[in-house]
Amino acid sequence: MLKHFYVALACLFASPAFAHEAIGPNGGKLVDAGSYHVELVAKGRVVNVYLSDSADKAVPAAGFKGTAILVVDGKPQRLVLAPADGNRLTGEAAVELPKAPKGAVQIQPPGGAMVQGKF
Amino acid sequence: MKFSVIAAFIAAFTMSALAHEGHDHGAPPPPVSVSSAPRAQALSDSLELVAIARDGKLSIYVDDFATNEPASDLVIEVETPAGPATAKAIGDSYEIDAPWSEAPGSYELLFTIIGPQGADVLTASLVTPQVAAAPEHAHTGFSHVIEAASGALGIGVLGFLLGALAMGLRRRSAKSVALVALALGLAAQDPAPASARDLAQRLPDGSLFIPKPTQRLLGVRTLLTKPDSHARIVELPGRVIPDPDASGVVQASVSGRLSAPASGFPRLGARVKAGDVLAYVATPMSAAELSDQRQRQGELDQQIALVQQRIARYERLMSTGSVAKVQLDESRVELAGLNDRREALERRQAEALVAPTSGIIAASNAIAGKIAESNAIIFQIVEPTRLWVEALSFSALPDIAQADARMPDGRTIALAHKGSGLSDRSQSLPVHFAIAADEHNLRIGQLAIVFARTGEMTEGLAVPRASVVQGSNGQSIVYEHTAPERFEARQVRVSALDAQRLLIVSGLNAGGRVVTQGAELLNQVR
Repeated sequence: MLKHFYVALACLFASPAFAHEAIGPNGGKLVDAGSYHVELVAKGRVVNVYLSDSADKAVPAAGFKGTAILVVDGKPQRLVLAPADGNRLTGEAAVELPKAPKGAVQIQPPGGAMVQGKF
Repeated sequence: MKFSVIAAFIAAFTMSALAHEGHDHGAPPPPVSVSSAPRAQALSDSLELVAIARDGKLSIYVDDFATNEPASDLVIEVETPAGPATAKAIGDSYEIDAPWSEAPGSYELLFTIIGPQGADVLTASLVTPQVAAAPEHAHTGFSHVIEAASGALGIGVLGFLLGALAMGLRRRSAKSVALVALALGLAAQDPAPASARDLAQRLPDGSLFIPKPTQRLLGVRTLLTKPDSHARIVELPGRVIPDPDASGVVQASVSGRLSAPASGFPRLGARVKAGDVLAYVATPMSAAELSDQRQRQGELDQQIALVQQRIARYERLMSTGSVAKVQLDESRVELAGLNDRREALERRQAEALVAPTSGIIAASNAIAGKIAESNAIIFQIVEPTRLWVEALSFSALPDIAQADARMPDGRTIALAHKGSGLSDRSQSLPVHFAIAADEHNLRIGQLAIVFARTGEMTEGLAVPRASVVQGSNGQSIVYEHTAPERFEARQVRVSALDAQRLLIVSGLNAGGRVVTQGAELLNQVR
């Protein structure tokens, strides 16, 4: 039981904010989110989030849910991400987005634990 | 086995210690405390966030990253497993209802913080362990268990049970009875009582775990250090002296009896003007002087009588014309002169002591009737708005650009360099500074430490003097804020910078956050 406790504590301090400063195959910033890699591409008002696994292999987005909170001009924009084709989740913001917005995404894999990525 | 698991996890975190944008916050700390409530922490460029789950509520503490000052006037929205929630401010912290946090599991939280400087998005994970309280009880001693069991069952019942067990298990040793009692105690204990608060503690690796609420209570503040070049400072011992141009002493030039002027002696602290008569000194006469004076008096009296008779005779003879008028006039002048001399002998002149300068009476030795020695200081006059500091330097100072002094009460006063002596005084050179500002409550002779800035430059990190505390081995240490709830002691070498700051020459890397307030309190945490 003690072991479990340490494991739990260990997870507590494993901050999910692992920034790579890496660029994904679609030209967006690529960050770690749990066991996934998440790439965020903003264009106009549309936000596309591409999922891949830790080996950068595309993960089908079907069944995934997500939320993105992006800071635009000092104000947070909350948008819901819905699965689209392939490994893409998409959502639309109320305002025009900068090319590389700052913020975070939460991804809920089907039947798995939620993961987060910070941009 | 257990250790290997822990080690593996710690190794895993060290490897995943990836920096996010902005600056590197270093490796995530190892487990903080076995008895703390589940907590999540996150950092951004400007903010530091700690969320603590307790009794179905999530308390959120947001502080400024650099200063550790509580951030106020925030709107905090949290993406929780139960959907978005807006935190309400409670004092200087924020809170959301989080019944989900009571169930064991790992929860991903996304905090949107909207403050006066704009919005910030922070991510954090909160882990509620399987049985939060179990390790705590595993570490408690037997006496605690007995206490817990007595609390739960009542001492009478416990005694009865122990008695019954001892009777029933007569052959078994007392140790096994104790073990049974221990089991009873554990069974009687509430499986997961949430402790009311987390305790600040020193962890086995020497670092400190200070929960955010405790940090708020202790008023812990930090400073983001940055390297800079500073003028080299020399520390000189000094003391307050009066400005020689605005102070003076009143001395009697002859020994004599003191008497007060019509207005009385000036009191201590009374303001006097240059030229004011402060006292009189009357020279007393010796027996020889007295007899001498009597003799002269007699002679004068005799001469006066003779001259008076002569004048009377001349006046009578004037009418006959046998005496010239000029003779009578001469005799009259002679009489006036003799009378003057006689009067001067009668009148014993007292010396008036006058104030040489304006100021207040700083010291007074005046007592009416007291015989003052010649050269004795009767009054000392000081202008309290014009004071100097005389410091002693053991080496010749090339050029002093700026100086300030720290007084024993902790005050810092600005000084202006006036000049340095060249002649040695007990192996040191006197250096004079004028107290520039209009300082009050200073006294003559008060000790001061003078920090004189020379033209030379040195490199280092400047920190307030309160940052540096003494470790148990006497070494100078500072506390570095390495994670939201973690402080690490760093042994440093310091040199004086000025009256308020010290220069850390080595032992600390630039960019770290050093505790500037509350370091003394952190040093007490055991």
